[in-house]
Amino acid sequence: MKEIVCVKLENDMDLILAHKRAMKLCELTGFSLITQTSIATAVSEIARCAIEYGQHAELVLGIEVIRSIKLLRIVIQDVNDFGNRCLEATQYAKRLVDEVEITKTAKMFQIVLKQKLNFPGTITAAKIDSLIEYFKNEPPLSAYDELRRKNHQLQEFAEKLKESENEYRVLTDSLPLMMFSFNNRGIITYSNKWLQNFLGSDLKDLGSTWQNVIHPDDYSRFNKELNNAMVRQIPLQGDYRVKDKNSDKYLWHLLSINPLKNERDIAVGWIGFVVDINAQKVVEQTIKDNLELKETQRQLIENQAELERKVVELNRSNYELEQFAHLASHDLQEPLRKLFFYSDLLKNKYASLVDENGARMLNNMTVAAARMKELIDDLLSYSQLQKQNMKIERVDLNEIFQDIMKDMEISIKEKNARVQVENLSSLDGNALRLRQLFTNLVSNALKYSKKDVTPVINVSSRTDGENMVISVKDNGMGFEEKYKEMIFGLFQRLHTKSEIPGTGIGLSICRKIADLHSGTVTASSVPGEYSLFEVTLPVSSHQNQPVR
Amino acid sequence: MNEPRLLFVDDDQEDHMIMLQYFRDAACEKHVKFLTNGQQALDYLEAIDEPAHLPRLIVLDLNMPILNGSQTLFQIKKNRLFKDIPIVIFSTSENEIEKRKCLSMGALDYWVKPVTYREGLEIVERLKPYIV
Repeated sequence: MKEIVCVKLENDMDLILAHKRAMKLCELTGFSLITQTSIATAVSEIARCAIEYGQHAELVLGIEVIRSIKLLRIVIQDVNDFGNRCLEATQYAKRLVDEVEITKTAKMFQIVLKQKLNFPGTITAAKIDSLIEYFKNEPPLSAYDELRRKNHQLQEFAEKLKESENEYRVLTDSLPLMMFSFNNRGIITYSNKWLQNFLGSDLKDLGSTWQNVIHPDDYSRFNKELNNAMVRQIPLQGDYRVKDKNSDKYLWHLLSINPLKNERDIAVGWIGFVVDINAQKVVEQTIKDNLELKETQRQLIENQAELERKVVELNRSNYELEQFAHLASHDLQEPLRKLFFYSDLLKNKYASLVDENGARMLNNMTVAAARMKELIDDLLSYSQLQKQNMKIERVDLNEIFQDIMKDMEISIKEKNARVQVENLSSLDGNALRLRQLFTNLVSNALKYSKKDVTPVINVSSRTDGENMVISVKDNGMGFEEKYKEMIFGLFQRLHTKSEIPGTGIGLSICRKIADLHSGTVTASSVPGEYSLFEVTLPVSSHQNQPVR
Repeated sequence: MNEPRLLFVDDDQEDHMIMLQYFRDAACEKHVKFLTNGQQALDYLEAIDEPAHLPRLIVLDLNMPILNGSQTLFQIKKNRLFKDIPIVIFSTSENEIEKRKCLSMGALDYWVKPVTYREGLEIVERLKPYIV
């Protein structure tokens, strides 16, 4: 059967509709007005029962062609068997139409009315389509009919929409992307399951959500960029660290937001997606770190080479300086010795030949020459302090100090000084140089003692890891803190020659000797109370590696 | 015996003059032979035909041309005929290392050249036993 039109049978309005549709189809298929009325009445009778006793009854009007026989076929059907309820109507209908047929299946109960068409010629598919078209476009018979039709259309749309929405959801959920949309107020209108899983399902308005999930260091940048995008209605794409609610870790993500614009080019909403780019970022960072590391390494090698060059240069210039000092002092010594000797000879052998004034000048000359000789001698001994001619052996510091005390016996007595040497131990070094070092310190302590106080010099030692620290402390005049480095400089003095004699090389020699032993010497003082010199030396020569 | 008792080897002519004056003052200058380098000293010693004529003491300056003090000391000390002659090193400066080296090579002593008139006299006093 070719279905032409269908009418739902739910209430009395539908009954009128059923009657009118039946009349119309009969008219269109060429039945006489009497037949039209008979058929429509039969339809009405059965339909009334269907409305009253059926559940979802409907009327289907159609045409059936069996070989050369053309029939108008009208079906009134329902899931309920209402046959017993319309026996009278059926009987009545049988008198109005050619044939009434009742069929019953498990699912459906049908009463079929058949009327032979006296339609000349064949019923083509085009003819049937034109009939279907007619009923589709037929102006509504009433406001009710129109409403019904609209409702029907709406329902169809709703179903299609639902279907499409489902497809969309399945699509967005199956992509490994976090997707969402939000309106112009920032309220999330849609989010796929990836986003919900990642951020947690509590997605309300964007502002507070993002603040909770975007890394605090990235948030202000993100906020600025998002506001800018939303105000100017332009897309936004940026890399931010986003917190994974499962691990509570911040991972790098690419966030992309695009405006959805209407036909007037105004954003009505936003659609966004978030992609995990953490692995990419980690690789990028690693590559960058590696490059930086390589650069640092290269710089280091360069610096080292530079350092080595400088050390070589320094050593050469040190060596040259030492050679110069040695030669200069040595060669200067010879004529100076003569100058000194002749002036002394003159004074001794020819004193009677000069007057008092000349004798004084001669004396001044001798004093000046003596002073210069002293300076040159000191410079020479300083320049002679070289590693290469220094033999390292086990040295007992007690013996060193015994020798020093013996050598300085006269000056100690002169000053009425008390020198206290605590028990010291042995270390690897050069006895001659160490003796020179400590002689200078003791001699300084005597030299810079206070006039009215008995000089007391205390020598003690302590161990400091691999080193031994030997302290020489006096109760002398001391010096100001600011001079504690200067006093080690070559020919540096804090007093005039007339106050205290000396060339100012003693402490330079001390420091040089400590250097040669890979040690140090430092000074500290409280002016008017004491001076303390601390010599730090390695106990064993194994760690006594030269710096050069 | 007219053979010199003291060999004074020094390239510095002024030192010759200074020392000569001291020796004159002590009236012993005729026993002193002045030479100006180590090679001259060796040549002089080689020319002596009799051990009895060898000098009683040699004074050697360190810085000399041709053959310096320590080289000369080495040559003399390795010679069987001369090795017993006492040698005093006479240097301008006090140098502990140089001094040790010379003493270990067999020098009798290491003296620093006089800076004062008095020191000169003292040196002559110490040399006198070998000359007079």
